[in-house]
Amino acid sequence: MTAVQAPRKPSHGPHSPDWKNALFVAPYLFFFVTLLVFPLFWGIWLSFHKADTFSSGPFVGFGNYVRLFNDKVFLQSVGNTFYFVLLTVPTLALIGLFLALALNARTRTATVLRSLFFFSSVLSVTIVTLIWRIVFIPQFGLLATVYGWFGATAPAFVSDPNLAMIAVAMATIWWCLGLPMMLFLSALQQIPGDIYEAAALDNASRWRTLTAITLPSIKRTFALVIIIQIVLQFQLFGQAWLMTRGGPNNVTKPIVLYIYDTAFRRWDLGLGAAASEVLFVLILLAAMAQYLISRRKEDL
Amino acid sequence: MSSGLSNSRSFGDRVILALVIALSIVMLAPALWVIALSFKDNAELMANPNSVFHPPYIIQNYINIVGTSAVFRWILNSLIVSIGLTVGTLVLSSLAGYGFARLNFPGRDILFVVVLFGLAVPEQAVLVARHQIFSILKFHNTYQGIILPGLSSAFGVFLMTQYFRAIPKELDEAAMLDNASRFRVFWKVLLPLTLPAQATLGIFTFLGAWNDYFWPLISATKKEMFTLTVGMASTQTNFAQSEGIGYLMAQAVFAGAPIFIVYLFFQKYIVTAVSGAAVR
Amino acid sequence: MKTIVKSALLAVSALAISAVTAVADPVEIKLQRFFGACDADFGTNTDVAKATGECGIITSLINKFNADNPDIHISVTNVEWPGYDQLNAQFAAGDAPDIVTIHESVLSDYQSKNLLLPLDDLLKSEGITPDQFTSAAQQGVTKDGKFYGMPIDTWTMLYHVNMDLFKQAGLVNPDGTPIFPKSVDEAIAQAEQFKAKTGKPYFVQNMANETALFMRNFYTYLFQQDSDFFADPKHIKVQTPEAKKVLEFYKKIYDEDLTTKDMDYGTAINAFLAGEGGVQLNGTWVVGDYNAQSETAGTALNKGGYAVYPYPQLFGGTHAQYADGHSWAVSAKDRKPEELAAIGKFLKFYFDNDYEWSRTGHLPSVQAVLDSDQFKALPHRSTILEVAKLGKPLPQQIQRQFALQDIIGEEAGAAITGQKDIDAALADMETRVNDLLSNL
Repeated sequence: MTAVQAPRKPSHGPHSPDWKNALFVAPYLFFFVTLLVFPLFWGIWLSFHKADTFSSGPFVGFGNYVRLFNDKVFLQSVGNTFYFVLLTVPTLALIGLFLALALNARTRTATVLRSLFFFSSVLSVTIVTLIWRIVFIPQFGLLATVYGWFGATAPAFVSDPNLAMIAVAMATIWWCLGLPMMLFLSALQQIPGDIYEAAALDNASRWRTLTAITLPSIKRTFALVIIIQIVLQFQLFGQAWLMTRGGPNNVTKPIVLYIYDTAFRRWDLGLGAAASEVLFVLILLAAMAQYLISRRKEDL
Repeated sequence: MSSGLSNSRSFGDRVILALVIALSIVMLAPALWVIALSFKDNAELMANPNSVFHPPYIIQNYINIVGTSAVFRWILNSLIVSIGLTVGTLVLSSLAGYGFARLNFPGRDILFVVVLFGLAVPEQAVLVARHQIFSILKFHNTYQGIILPGLSSAFGVFLMTQYFRAIPKELDEAAMLDNASRFRVFWKVLLPLTLPAQATLGIFTFLGAWNDYFWPLISATKKEMFTLTVGMASTQTNFAQSEGIGYLMAQAVFAGAPIFIVYLFFQKYIVTAVSGAAVR
Repeated sequence: MKTIVKSALLAVSALAISAVTAVADPVEIKLQRFFGACDADFGTNTDVAKATGECGIITSLINKFNADNPDIHISVTNVEWPGYDQLNAQFAAGDAPDIVTIHESVLSDYQSKNLLLPLDDLLKSEGITPDQFTSAAQQGVTKDGKFYGMPIDTWTMLYHVNMDLFKQAGLVNPDGTPIFPKSVDEAIAQAEQFKAKTGKPYFVQNMANETALFMRNFYTYLFQQDSDFFADPKHIKVQTPEAKKVLEFYKKIYDEDLTTKDMDYGTAINAFLAGEGGVQLNGTWVVGDYNAQSETAGTALNKGGYAVYPYPQLFGGTHAQYADGHSWAVSAKDRKPEELAAIGKFLKFYFDNDYEWSRTGHLPSVQAVLDSDQFKALPHRSTILEVAKLGKPLPQQIQRQFALQDIIGEEAGAAITGQKDIDAALADMETRVNDLLSNL
């Protein structure tokens, strides 16, 4: 980071270790430990026990994990989650980048359009899903109506097993597009203008300016957008739960919905806890992979 | 800039323009559709879905909501929770950020790494245990029950630590030599400088709390404690046997309106705040 | 002037205080129910006779109870059907509502964890004895010899018929009653004939976002073949020719477009009311609403009439169909005597108004109401009364019936819509159900 390295001070200066200094971090650490660290270990402990919502049972070792990896629905939900991330993250990044490039201007139209593409981000997931259910619903749906104008029948987005996840992804992209666009916009605005002036003097084509100057300058933001979105979309729950209930036949059931289902609908707390730990490991791996990749890029 | 909309109308510009317009329609149409439905009579919609395109348009659905819906209570609950969590997060993160960035204490670096690991812990990994702990503490169906879990998020601490580190050390060093207390230096000298980061963190936290669905769904189970997201979900699957589509849509518009108005007013700040997050 | 204002203020505050003390802290009872929200139409209605439909009647009944009993206040939380996710979270948090709607099929889940209060003594103190309920209702709520809920109805699935379309299809007897199939082959043939004559699908089914309908149909047609698929309550057996026949039948209907396909529950209701198909498979709870529609001029059901019947017998076994019931259960917790008394009073009130509730279309749980002329005089009850005898629940001891519903519905749905091979779906159904039941 950009912090200036201060010269070393003698041992009695403000930089010597002092227990009292920890008072500043203590309030946060209290919540961190009680509400994150402790529950995390409790969850791990639970995942090794046969426990239901109203009573905890005996230690079962890796029993819950064995059941988990023998459960077709769990494996399917892991696959679904990856599929969903694959559908949404690149699309969000690419459309976000496109919009940022197109709307990076100080005109009134660009400002209005930027607001337009960001407004959906402030809505609750329940409103977003209500809106999209009304888009997809047969008969009253926006899609049904538009198709009706051409005498066609709209595809059954929510109930067709091949389309259901795409429908969930569409609602998600509509909802989440604002953030990547804004992140890209701010990155674009930080590219020094004189580089572009130099390029203009060289008569570089727009494509060349884009690929040689703009894109390389926002490489880090691109990585940032991708990791933020991967972590966010990995935790898909509300949209799938409210639009499709995870159906038809579990094709839109993500890991988080599996956890909810197991722990709060089937009372199988131990199994739910085990599934949570798997999700944790997956996200940890994604974060670490991203960290390593961005590290290597900086070294180059 | 060369890639802006306002420049010469080359073929490439036109393609870009067409694409932007198409995307705008996709963004707007669903929202307009919902708004249009909210002004229609339920029975008329049932009989003929296409009636949305012609009058009569009515405001009865909105009148019904004012009279009967619990949506106001949900909005109030969401506000209390979101503001509570935002204030709490700002206080805790600023203090911790200053501590981690500027002060030295035994075990600091290890602690910071541990906190960073916290970034990767998804809410769901601790959910079941948290629910049990809160049951024991009798925290469910209380405001603190909905607010507290958010306070453990490591994102704010990470953001503020980075921001404090980016402030030139000469500023507080001078104050320190004047023998000002650490808290004074933090409060008088550094905190004012972090306002942009506070805004970023505040807005992200507020929006995150406002939109949270998973935790309130299992913690706030009484209708007096429903947040907007949970309350809206409790009515929306019942198209048939309950309120009609028009009513539900009006409720959605009502529920979306406050945050949308806030957004319109604070647009500029929100945009800068979001951009602030990208600097790093 | 000042003194006038002052004394006026005093008077007002005195009034306010007395008003507060007059309704001296009514006993607060928390009630949680599904059946939807209809505050716009019935939020303040206390005239029960004016209400229609499940939501309207239950809302009005509770309003009336609150109005009649100023010393008690029932505060209602509406939950999304069936509401068990929330109830589980509430029980886990030790913060359950006092009175809650629970299906008879899931009572044993909560009863086996000692979460519910046995109601025998409470009901007795209100003069209600078990033998006043129908035998189906009694069986539904009795666990270990005690009542763990007060049954309010018995419900099942029905064939809701658009008679106008049936006439067009030539599926009407000379006496004006609809012609129903007596075998699977006849069912397909009649559905095909219906489609050829009317251009519309025979069945209106909600197949999107749905598991309950698939499960109810599946159980019903297994019952009709005398298949004992739950001989052991911890073990389901569905890799059988009987189960295969049921799914093959429904798959054929699906494949030949003899049913609506991509509708969710609400859309299917609207489609039936708009005359989009001949027979809607839906429960007893819509009879009242549909009948009201058929009496409204200009509606699709008004054109040729509305009729409603039990599921026809399509297989060679005993005529039967899947049934369940709703009940009011009371959570187990320490209560003051006046709170318990208030709960008893509410249960008695609902017991006394069982006729009003039966106007929804549900069969009454109170034997006297079922036998009453008033009930029999309600429209269509003559044709559906038979389900009181045909209705059959799953064996009592089977736990987690709503979780099983999801599994069975998902797998049956996958087989019917062609996502999965029928044999594979039945195999998966069996594995998943048995895994769940063996890990309770």
